[in-house]
Amino acid sequence: MIELHDVSKRYGRVEAVSGVELTINPGLVTGLLGPNGAGKTTLMRMITGYLSPTAGRISVCGHDTVTASGAARRCIGYLPDAAPAYGEMRVDGYLRFRAGLCGVARGQQNAVVEKALSQCWLSEVRKRRVGELSRGYRQRVGLAAAVLHGPAVLVLDEPTTGLDPGQIREMRGLIRELARPGEGVPAGRVVLLSSHIMAEVEATCDRVVIVHRGRVKAAGTPAELVGGAGSVGRYVLEVVLERNGTISEQEDGLVGVVRGRLLGAGGAVGGAAGGVAGVRRVTVIGAGDRRLKVEVESEAGADDLREAMARALHGAGVVVTELVRERASLEQVFLNAISEAA
Amino acid sequence: MRTLVIARRELGSYFRTALGWVLAALFLLLSGLVFAASSLSPGEPASMREFFTVWWSLLVIVAPAISMRLLAEEQRTGTLEPLLTSPVAEVEVVAGKLLGAAGFLACCLAPTLSYVAVLAWLAGPDLGPIVAGYVGVMLLGTLYLSVGLLFSALTASQTLAFLATMFFLLLSEVGAQRAAAHLPAPLDAAALALSVNLRLGDFARGVVDSQHVVFFLAATAWFGGLTALVLRTRRWA
Repeated sequence: MIELHDVSKRYGRVEAVSGVELTINPGLVTGLLGPNGAGKTTLMRMITGYLSPTAGRISVCGHDTVTASGAARRCIGYLPDAAPAYGEMRVDGYLRFRAGLCGVARGQQNAVVEKALSQCWLSEVRKRRVGELSRGYRQRVGLAAAVLHGPAVLVLDEPTTGLDPGQIREMRGLIRELARPGEGVPAGRVVLLSSHIMAEVEATCDRVVIVHRGRVKAAGTPAELVGGAGSVGRYVLEVVLERNGTISEQEDGLVGVVRGRLLGAGGAVGGAAGGVAGVRRVTVIGAGDRRLKVEVESEAGADDLREAMARALHGAGVVVTELVRERASLEQVFLNAISEAA
Repeated sequence: MRTLVIARRELGSYFRTALGWVLAALFLLLSGLVFAASSLSPGEPASMREFFTVWWSLLVIVAPAISMRLLAEEQRTGTLEPLLTSPVAEVEVVAGKLLGAAGFLACCLAPTLSYVAVLAWLAGPDLGPIVAGYVGVMLLGTLYLSVGLLFSALTASQTLAFLATMFFLLLSEVGAQRAAAHLPAPLDAAALALSVNLRLGDFARGVVDSQHVVFFLAATAWFGGLTALVLRTRRWA
């Protein structure tokens, strides 16, 4: 488990991270999502002990990263951004070196290196020099170096940067696999990765932490964030009038009925006088023969309004032929979070 | 244990890069010239005293060249981050780097043992001063490498680390001797005590003074400690 208590980091006058409270549990892939310069790398560097926080406390597997730095670092496997490695070394030699650094006994080094090579699809390049490898392979070498001593915590800074789509898919699968319970990690690993790519986080992470300007703006599962208080619901309705006549004759009347039924008497917001509670705005987006297409926007955090809207319109002689709830995406949540802060 | 892991990698890296081989070749060329000029004089006693005495000036160039990449390169390429986030103490990193660099210096010195063989074949010299000379060169070289390691920790530029180390070594030696010439007693003795060249001269004469040994080891530990402090301070940057 990783716990951050009121963690801040200043670079001179610049506050890169400010008052971060966060708990990251094992068995889940947690994604730090934020634009460039949000403070993701600084947070990761503090968790791995490369930097010390200016204020606050970080504990990794119960060890304080400042006062028990060595013990904390023993629990961590870290893949820094751009996966730096000694270019002149051969892949297997480099991994043996990293195993030695992590305290793996010489007699066990070959076994752990073999396992990491096969886990990260590196067996075919084991004798190549790291500096001669493509970016994708170097990234895998970095990941192999991070996992080879079987750490309880994996911290991966932008792990899919520079990979092609096939490699990205493989990397995502591997990261999810690493979070699962296994030998030496009965509760699964803590896997923390950072990214500024929404699709990346959505596809890989069980939990998302949105960071902006050094502060945590939102945290939760993607479903929680999308359905959370900060997101606005959108619905598209197509309705048809039961009575005869063309829409051109009755269009104004139909629009008035729909608005009145959804927004309340006189189109007042908030469902006053018979409207549907939670509806914020009704916009006509199309009209046809006795038909009307409208977009309905709900209040932030409102429940699912589909049934309530269908009932309200049915009572006025309006038949709902299509009713679609457009779910808010993580991207909308993210943009909301960072625009609120701006 | 981790110190040895780092030292092994460091030593190996000199032989995996062109820089290491160029340095070793340069070292051998310079030492060969010095040996030919100082120890192979007809009619002179069979000794390598002059050879070792000149070593100070060679080490002022060679040691910074060996040490310049030790931490500057790690900073430039970003490999310092995985290194310092491994469960390794800063002191172990410094000791490992220093041991690896000293090992490379020893590897460069090893071929010069052939000069001893040549001398032994020609004239049968007293081996005691020669062994003491090698001990002195290694002690001085390791001290200079520790100075270079400190400057290498302060910058990501190898060139800057090389130049800063070389100027520091030159100025400290010349400064110590100049100060000794101008300062009143007992300050002149204190200034003279900082002159490593004089201490190396004693080794070259075959005198292994424990004071000299302690001085070199303590000064090396001092610069090593400063380097560890620089690495530790980076975490609070």
